[in-house]
Formats: sequence, C-alpha cells, structure tokens
Amino acid sequence: MNPMTTTSSTSATTTDPAARQIGGGKVVEELQVSRFAPFRNTAITVVNLGIFFVIWEVVARAEVLNPLFFPRISATFEAMYTGFRDGVIAPQLGHSLSNLLIGLLISAAIGIPVGLFMGASRTADLILSPYVWAMTSLPRVALIPLLILMLGFGNGMQLTIIVLSAVFPIMVNCMAGVKTVDPSLLRAGRVFGAGRGQMYTKIILPFTLPFVISGINQGIARGLVGMLIGELLGGGGSGLGFLLDRAGDQFDAPMLYATLLILAVMSVALVQLMRWLERRVAPWRDVAA
Amino acid sequence: MAHTAAGAQLQIASHSGAEGGSGGGRSSVAPGPASDPVIVARSVTAGYENRRTKTRLIALRDVSLEIQRGEFLAIVGPSGCGKSTFINMVAGFVRPLEGTVEVDGQPVRGTGSDRAMVFQDYALLPWRTVERNVLFAMENRRNKPSKSEQAARVAEALSLVGLTGFEKAYPHELSGGMRQRVGIARALVTKPDILLMDEPFGAVDAMTREAMQAEFERIIAQTRQTVVFITHSIDEAVMLGDRVVVISNRPGTIKEVVDVDLPRPRLTGDAKGSLRFAELREHIWSLLQDEALGAQEAK
Repeated sequence: MNPMTTTSSTSATTTDPAARQIGGGKVVEELQVSRFAPFRNTAITVVNLGIFFVIWEVVARAEVLNPLFFPRISATFEAMYTGFRDGVIAPQLGHSLSNLLIGLLISAAIGIPVGLFMGASRTADLILSPYVWAMTSLPRVALIPLLILMLGFGNGMQLTIIVLSAVFPIMVNCMAGVKTVDPSLLRAGRVFGAGRGQMYTKIILPFTLPFVISGINQGIARGLVGMLIGELLGGGGSGLGFLLDRAGDQFDAPMLYATLLILAVMSVALVQLMRWLERRVAPWRDVAA
Repeated sequence: MAHTAAGAQLQIASHSGAEGGSGGGRSSVAPGPASDPVIVARSVTAGYENRRTKTRLIALRDVSLEIQRGEFLAIVGPSGCGKSTFINMVAGFVRPLEGTVEVDGQPVRGTGSDRAMVFQDYALLPWRTVERNVLFAMENRRNKPSKSEQAARVAEALSLVGLTGFEKAYPHELSGGMRQRVGIARALVTKPDILLMDEPFGAVDAMTREAMQAEFERIIAQTRQTVVFITHSIDEAVMLGDRVVVISNRPGTIKEVVDVDLPRPRLTGDAKGSLRFAELREHIWSLLQDEALGAQEAK
C-alpha cells in the first residue's frame, strides 16, 4: 500500500523540485548535465539581441529609411551615454520612477482594501461597482484636460493620473479574488471550526494574494501609460515623457530612441519582477490542480 | 435481509452487524440491537430556495433515518438525488426546510467539533504543507491541545493514512489519492465522533480507489467512528457499509435500507467474489435501475 512514484528528470535545465522535497517513496536520479547549461538561454538572448542591433546598424547606415526617424543604433547608444554623462537622462528617469512607485503605493493602499471589501460585502459591491467599472473602462487620456484644469501642470497632476490608472485594476482583481474563493475551502473552514476572522486570515486572504499580485501587475502596466501621458500631455517639464517630447521637437532621433529603449527595459524589468513574485507567492497555481 | 420501506416513513432500530455476529472487527463491538442512535433525522424535507424565481427546489422529501453509534452507513443514489444535501445538513451547512436533524439528541445548529468531513475535491489549503493542512483541523478550536500534543496527533494521523515522510510536501506535489489521504488524516486528527464523507473517492482513479477503500476499512476498524459515506458506486456502498440507504430521485426519498451482512474485513478478504455480495449488489442495482433509466428519459 506504500505510495510509489518514480520521478526521473529528463529535462536538462530543470530538476523537479517536488521530487527532491518529498523524499518518501519518490526516487530522484542525478543527471549528467553540462556546467554551462543554465547559461544557455542567456547566451541565446545575447546573441539574438546582438544580431538584431547589427542588422539595425547596417540598415541605418545604408540609409534605406530616412535617418531623421531611423538613426544608427551606435548613435542611439552614444546619445544614451552622453545623456547619462551630462545628467540629462538620470534626473528625468529618477523623476518618472519615483512618481510611478509612489503612485503604485498609493494605488495599492487604496485599491487592495477597497477591493477586498467589495469582494466580501455584497452591499458594498452593489453601491461601488458602477463607479469602479466606469473608471476601469474609461480611457485615462480623457481625464487629462480635467486634471490640468484642477491641478495645473505640476507633479500632483502626474501622480494623480498614475493613481487613477493603476488603482482600478488592483481593486477589480482583489474583488475577483475574494469572490472566487473555492467554496469547498470555505466549507472546510467551517467544518474545522474557523471563526469569521480565521476564515479571512487563513483562507480568504491567502487565496486572494495571487490575485492581488496580478492586480498590481496590471496596475504597473496601466500606471506606466498613465505616467507617460501625464508627462507627454501635461507639459510639466520633467520625466521620461518630457524627454521624448523634447527630443521629438528637436528632431533628435538618437535621443528619442535612447529614451524608448530605457522605457522598454524599465517595463520589462517591472513585469518580470512581478512574475517572479507571483510564482514565489503561489507556486501551486503553476501546476494543474 | 433487506427490508422494504413502508412508504417514506422508515425507522430502522436494529443493527444487523451485531446480530449477525460476523467475523469483522468493528461490527462485533458495535452496540447491540438496543439502539443508541447518534444521528436522527425526523421527516426531513430539504432543498434550496431561489428568491429570484420565487421557487424552491426540493432535494429531499420526508426522510427519516436513525444512524447508530459506531455504524458505517453508506448512502447511494443517482446524481442529484439529494444525498449530498443530507450530509450537508448533518454537517450543519444547510438547515432542513421541515423536520429536524439531531446529533447526540441536540438539533444541529451549524458545524461542530464532533463532526468532521472529507470532501470529494479534497478541499486542502494549497498554500499549506501536508502537516499544516492536518493541523488546520485543530488550531481553530478554542480548547485546543498543547503544541507538542498537536504535533504528536498530526504525526499519528499521518502515519494512520500512510503519509509519514510527506509532512513537508504541498498538496500540488501529490497525486489525487495521496491528497485524499491528507483529507482523511485532517478529518481523523481530532478524533471526532462522526465522520462525514461526501464521495471521498469519486475523483481518484479506479485502481487507487480500491486501494483507498481497503485502507479506509482498516483505518475505521481501528478508530471506530460513526461514518456517513456518500457514494454513487453501488460496489463501494456494499463493500464498505453496515447498511446501505438507497435514495431515489426527484425529490429524494429513501427507497430502501439494505443490511449488508458480509463479514469484515471485506476488502482484504474475498467478499467481492462472494455470492452474497453479488446478490446485494444486484438487489440495489434493481432498485436504482428504474431511476437511472428514468433520468435518461427526463433528459
């Protein structure tokens, strides 16, 4: 009657964590794998990007496209380098990043509790949901004229647009998390004597945690858009959006591309960070239940 | 040996296992014909109210049943016959619309530490390890034992279901059968009087299922709980139950209560090959056959 499961890892780059942890009846076999195997994916990415940049450089030098909006990649990196050296980029990058982070913190501080409350209370959901859904669906750009009217061109307006962009996806996800708690887990909680408070701390909140994270993930994506439109259209004279705007006005294509590259790296890094966090927080969600 | 229900009203006071003096361990220690009912349902009608359509769906109608202390009662019936509703009433999740359900002489008002449940879909907390899932059954109680006592009981329950060595594993790392062992350990760890099982082996594959049945029979012979076991498998009901309650469909009423006079242990023995097993199985099937066909027509 002993449970017997045999696990042999066949993949070169991954070992099955379950097999190692459980011990018990499982059998784990060591595999001979090249020392460089873990770096294979990184190597492929580097080579891939290298080829991409070389092709870019060749096409740009051939001047197939107008150099005014298609600069050489070498010029772009040069603009990035001088931008950082002369202190043109760093303060704007810092401004944008700190605005985004503060905005996200405020959004989380508002969105998580309100979302949880909406999930837990039918009445709260009924009262708040028309506003929440209207604000979730409304394109953020539409609010810019109103916000400028109310808050002027300062940092307050830029922050507000980030919060308005990020807070609703966070709220909606938290609400969905609470509402989709597996009913049989709730029944198990009742059978095994969990009181109202324990139901929240031991079942509902842990179940909702991955939803909170994916809410924040969406909040980051929306917040980035909010940040850029605030800086581009708000005319506040600061942030990466301002750099883009000014480079465009000055026909400074290398600087324009350099800023876009920085933005791309920034978004990818944030998204990857959240994905990593999601896996750490809810490892069971990767595996089919 | 099988008495036929006289209408829906039905009271079975005798306990066949004790009279039969069968070779099994648990039935010989079960209380004699002097009845000691631990769960009593009196003309229970249950169902679900739908306020929007202003209707109520009757799942069970006028069901009366006494379950003896230490008895293994299997309830079998087609899908949607209200057998889950019955166990949910005993657990304290739903209240009857009419009639009463009593446990130990007290009407059921919500869940209680005297009753534990094993769920079809395991209902384990995925963010907790095996041992912390089992611990969950104890840690919420007001008068819980000391930490070391809790740990000792968890270890005992896990060894009872054969999961020693898997304490630190997470449910998603285990097979379905092993997950349900965790579910059983969690239900047994507090040593409740009553074990409610809602199609516990319904989601595990056929081979694991037989192995789990045998093991469960062995475990219950040791712990001697009162068990209410819901299944839609006639074989499973006959193999495990001291009595089998056959419930008919739409709305659910008790069609017959069948005494199973097979000696225990049944699963490690050759009960399944015996003539008596075949007879009982055939009899229950004949009771349910019309139901199954009726359900086909209704669709």
